[in-house]
Amino acid sequence: MYRYDEFDAAFVRQRVAQFRDQVERRTSGELTEDEFRPLRLMNGVYLQLHAYMLRIAIPYGTLSSRQMRKLAHIARTYDRGTGHFTTRQNLQFNWPKLTEIPDILDELAEVEMHAIQTSGNCIRNVTADHFAGATGDEVADPRPYAEIIRQWSSLHPEFSFLPRKFKVAVIASEHDRAAMQLHDIGLHLKRLQDGRLGFAVYVGGGMGRTPFVAKKIRDELPEEDLLSYLEAILRVYNLQGRRDNKFKARIKILIHEAGIEAIRAEVEEEWQRIRGGALKLPAEEIARIAAYFKPPGFETRPAKAALRPADRAFDRWVTRNTHVHKQPGYAIVTVSLKPIGGVPGDASAAQMDAVADIAERYSFDEVRVTHEQNLVLPHVSLGDLWEVYRALKEADLAESNAGLATDIIACPGLDYCALANARSIPIAQRISERLAPRQDEIGDLKIKISGCINACGHHHVGHIGILGVEKRGEEHYQLLLGGSGAEDAAIGNITGPGFGPDGIVDAVEKVVDRYLELRSGPDEPFLAAYGRLGAAPFKEALYVAA
Amino acid sequence: MSKRATGSSILTANRLSDGRAVFLDFEGAWNESIDVALVARASQEIAELEARGAFDAAQNLVVEPYLVEVRETEGRLMPVRQRERVRAGGPSVLDDVPGYAAPETARVPLAERRTDRVLEEAA
Repeated sequence: MYRYDEFDAAFVRQRVAQFRDQVERRTSGELTEDEFRPLRLMNGVYLQLHAYMLRIAIPYGTLSSRQMRKLAHIARTYDRGTGHFTTRQNLQFNWPKLTEIPDILDELAEVEMHAIQTSGNCIRNVTADHFAGATGDEVADPRPYAEIIRQWSSLHPEFSFLPRKFKVAVIASEHDRAAMQLHDIGLHLKRLQDGRLGFAVYVGGGMGRTPFVAKKIRDELPEEDLLSYLEAILRVYNLQGRRDNKFKARIKILIHEAGIEAIRAEVEEEWQRIRGGALKLPAEEIARIAAYFKPPGFETRPAKAALRPADRAFDRWVTRNTHVHKQPGYAIVTVSLKPIGGVPGDASAAQMDAVADIAERYSFDEVRVTHEQNLVLPHVSLGDLWEVYRALKEADLAESNAGLATDIIACPGLDYCALANARSIPIAQRISERLAPRQDEIGDLKIKISGCINACGHHHVGHIGILGVEKRGEEHYQLLLGGSGAEDAAIGNITGPGFGPDGIVDAVEKVVDRYLELRSGPDEPFLAAYGRLGAAPFKEALYVAA
Repeated sequence: MSKRATGSSILTANRLSDGRAVFLDFEGAWNESIDVALVARASQEIAELEARGAFDAAQNLVVEPYLVEVRETEGRLMPVRQRERVRAGGPSVLDDVPGYAAPETARVPLAERRTDRVLEEAA
């Protein structure tokens, strides 16, 4: 993992001291709320429905056990014993006191963490494939590049006041596990035609009020040119992105209105001007950063003969929650934060401590946070799976539902969020309870729920998406079908009139029932069936059938 | 204060120090319970509530004060909008949040909550 150098450590400490002073000046009345708001937001502090919320950056979703334990400690000491993992691979605390947040930030700095640029119109926390460095289907670990981007973008003087927030995701596999094409910039690390490492660059993706799948702006970008090309894109956006209308300020709108060809030409022109300058990445620097992410010392360990004892629950967990590792004898383990009927993405301090202990003992001290609000133990020996399963079960973390209908993404919604129009979590809980008995029969299905049009719950790209709206002061829900955040990225289509809080759960079940009725067989997943059948039979089930 | 209510209204805000949702009560203090909120029914009373919110925000007691329209049902106050009902009642899912620990009493003693200022002073 990347370790702070002296510059990083001093920079973060300095920033905490600045924020402590800003909080003191706010509480003493020296700063007004209007003056203080942008300062707190730049440090990840929001004022939500019931209290302040602190969003902590987890760069490219990678945590050490020590860092996870610190998050547990903060949850226990400063919050209410719990934390919420988000679709941006971050962690949110829902109940911190403003006057204690500087202390929290000091605690985070002890473990090389912070909350800088988790809000505001700047380049946000860079996300990556949560299987990075472990999966066999990648060309290289994408995290060194994410770390390089993090360093380049942290307090970048030119890009600290962009027209709107800016999100970057990096993958290195043909399988997109990071919703890369739904980001302002998506980077796909790959082998170029000459055999060197480089990127396909996508731009202008995003969800929210106006969803777009990103367009490819460049098919081949040598890795040495990564930062200069990103800088060129950001410069064009910074100059031309709209600042008169917040709802039209993201780069996706600029791309949509100006056209990808025009923006590509301007980016290329700027890039050619700066390409060979200070931002050219020396191979030694890439190697220096990459060294922090070198694979752990894997042992050649045969799987135990009795890998799957006579335990059907364990067998099911292995089937659903493990993924093939690039190193023979190891597996990638998904730790579900989606207990049946539970709150998606929430973990108690005790659970965070448990995961830290398990990771330290069985996964080379490493944990990942997924954009699907689960955790990952990236490097578990096949011979340790039984012990890992038992330890997770002891912590109520062994739900065997990764990728199934109960593995639901849900934003905090109206239960916490000041922007939300409707609750998301209770809807997720009720759908989870409703579909749990049949989830194995249903198979892979991604249900994603947002409590407002800002789409933190990724409803646009759910196979089944749900959007909460407010209708005459009450909660109401629109249903979308056919979206995908994977390599076949697509924006879902609204089925028709929405549903009340009770009706939406029934509606989802009707869609699932119709899918089970019409699929060609258990091997035809929901999205394939929807693509083959179209929306009509599902709409018929929703609006016509008795 | 951008959100103007037209019917029976109460005044809410977030407390500066901890961000908790609070309601101006009939004793002139900011209280975490909506049950003791001061209700304004006439336009003059509503204007006075607004003025009080602006005053206390300027005094750095609270942040972002605004009026909430309520119905008075069987002696209880019920916000008209679902958003405000959730805000007043707290997250509806706390029983299911793993490890959730409610704050002990969390209530500041009444004597400390009260301010000496009254509506007339704010107006």
